[in-house]
Amino acid sequence: MSSFLSAQRRPEGAGPGTGPAGDAIAGVPVLFDGVGQTFRTGGRVTRALERVDLEVEAGEFVAILGPSGCGKSTLMKIAAGLIAPSEGQVSIGGTVVRGPWTKLGVVFQSPVLLDWRNVLDNVLVQLELRGIDPAAYRDRAHALLRSVGLEGFADRMPRELSGGMRQRTAIVRGLIHDPPLLMMDEPFGALDALTREQMRIDLEKLWLSRRQTTLFITHGISEAVALADRVVVMTPRPGRIDRIIPIDLPRPRNKAVISSARFTATCDEITELFMKNGVIQY
Amino acid sequence: MPTAKGDAASGSGRFAAWLRRRIGLILVFVALFLLWEYAVKIFGIKEYLLPPPTRIWTEFLKRWPTVMAGAWITGQEIVGGYLLAVVVSIPLALAVVRWRFVEESLYPVIVFLQIIPKIAIAPLFIIWFGFGFGPKLLIVFLLCFFPIVVSSVAGFKSLDPDVMDFARTTGAGGLRLFLKIRLPQALPGIFTGLKVGAALAATAAVVAEFVASDRGLGYLLQQYNGQLETPMVFATIVLLSIMGLVVYYAVEWLERLVIPWHVSQRPNDVTGI
Ligand SMILES: Nc1ncnc2c1ncn2[C@@H]1O[C@H](COP(=O)(O)OP(=O)(O)OP(=O)(O)O)[C@@H](O)[C@H]1O
Ligand SMILES: [Mg+2]
Repeated sequence: MSSFLSAQRRPEGAGPGTGPAGDAIAGVPVLFDGVGQTFRTGGRVTRALERVDLEVEAGEFVAILGPSGCGKSTLMKIAAGLIAPSEGQVSIGGTVVRGPWTKLGVVFQSPVLLDWRNVLDNVLVQLELRGIDPAAYRDRAHALLRSVGLEGFADRMPRELSGGMRQRTAIVRGLIHDPPLLMMDEPFGALDALTREQMRIDLEKLWLSRRQTTLFITHGISEAVALADRVVVMTPRPGRIDRIIPIDLPRPRNKAVISSARFTATCDEITELFMKNGVIQY
Repeated sequence: MPTAKGDAASGSGRFAAWLRRRIGLILVFVALFLLWEYAVKIFGIKEYLLPPPTRIWTEFLKRWPTVMAGAWITGQEIVGGYLLAVVVSIPLALAVVRWRFVEESLYPVIVFLQIIPKIAIAPLFIIWFGFGFGPKLLIVFLLCFFPIVVSSVAGFKSLDPDVMDFARTTGAGGLRLFLKIRLPQALPGIFTGLKVGAALAATAAVVAEFVASDRGLGYLLQQYNGQLETPMVFATIVLLSIMGLVVYYAVEWLERLVIPWHVSQRPNDVTGI
């Protein structure tokens, strides 16, 4: 498996928010301002999110970490403009999000592939739906597929893939158009530990070269610490921000960094937060 | 359908594989025919009650030009009425999902009309439109129309919310969204309706001819019946069944061609030949 980096070259001047190939793109800041969410379905009321205030800087990598059902996916969909929040608002690059935000790449919690398209066409649909000629992106698509270990699977249909392969296809689809803002909802959730580690390394490389603002949702403590500039720890439902932990470990987060005492200490600190909240009980 | 990849290349190999797969079915058919043939002879059943298969066949060979001429007429009614239903139903389904007021005003009326036994109003069509080709076409159209509209509307509405979320992040709308996301998702539902309609088309044509006609297989069937020419009654029924099957499998073949990704996901259906 080669890295995402080898796939970095993309057609000149194409795609939203892109500079000339190779330059770091200007990530956009994302501001969560008192975001709250209450779901009402058939008389049931679910309080999913409670007053989330968060400032994500341009080009920052933020991991959102929390127990299942605390509202992480909801928070991401609100940021992407797919759900209107019950309270508060999100602004991206100074603009209040009032409908689907399109200058981004999203990887959903489930792969959400189109059954009627093969792997390559599932990736290229990102461009087709944006009215961009996909032909110019074929090489980049193949390179990205290679980087996630899907070389030779470009013409397979989704039903012929394993769950992890589907998820990797979805990741490539989220990256193909080189967006200035990346939102990923447990993108490595369906992957085995080894692939997961490699994808983590590749994602960091990609981010180091492109510096797109990244919201990365996970419930893996070490994954969050290994990737992020800051880890946002959420409480159980209704999800509030429990604590924001800056991770000032050196990059790239290689083997030495991951096995350092500081890395372990940070992970322990977060584990203790979850113990305090009753998420983890010994 | 479990097609063996290895011998798919050669035609004879494929036939051998099909034969192996269907050998049970073929044997049952052969046994049934033998039983029929000899039971009729052994028990001395009268021909006008139940003719043996060989008799049906020889009688058909003698008089096939008349029957085939009838089949030509009935076939036109089936295909014409069905195609008319297709070209009216699908755009109508589109209008229902596209414009709220159509859904709220016209669609409930369509769903209500569906309850009326269409066959019961066939005689009315004769009063209104006479004996010709037109009223038969209309009756076939009427029977095929409802299942296609209802299934197509359901198809266009059965959108995967996650897929729609993804589509919305791209900002796609209008024709592009329709062609790349909404139509492909609707096709399985549309084909369900097309197949139900196809299965009804032959019945509709025969019933229409029963009501009032001087030609076609339905008319012949009544004639033969009246004259107790039971072998010809059987021959006509077999021919009608074959025509119904051809229409149905033509649609199913089209379905395999258009949405292979869906067809191969479905569990094997028993009728698959
Ligand atoms: N459309 C909806 N209607 C009603 N309730 C919803 C809806 N979406 C989410 N919820 C509720 O909101 C809460 C948060 O859901 P969400 O999917 O955001 O959790 P999550 O943190 O992503 O969990 P996980 O880690 O398991 O993916 C849950 O209690 C869920 O039941
Ligand atoms: Mg989630």
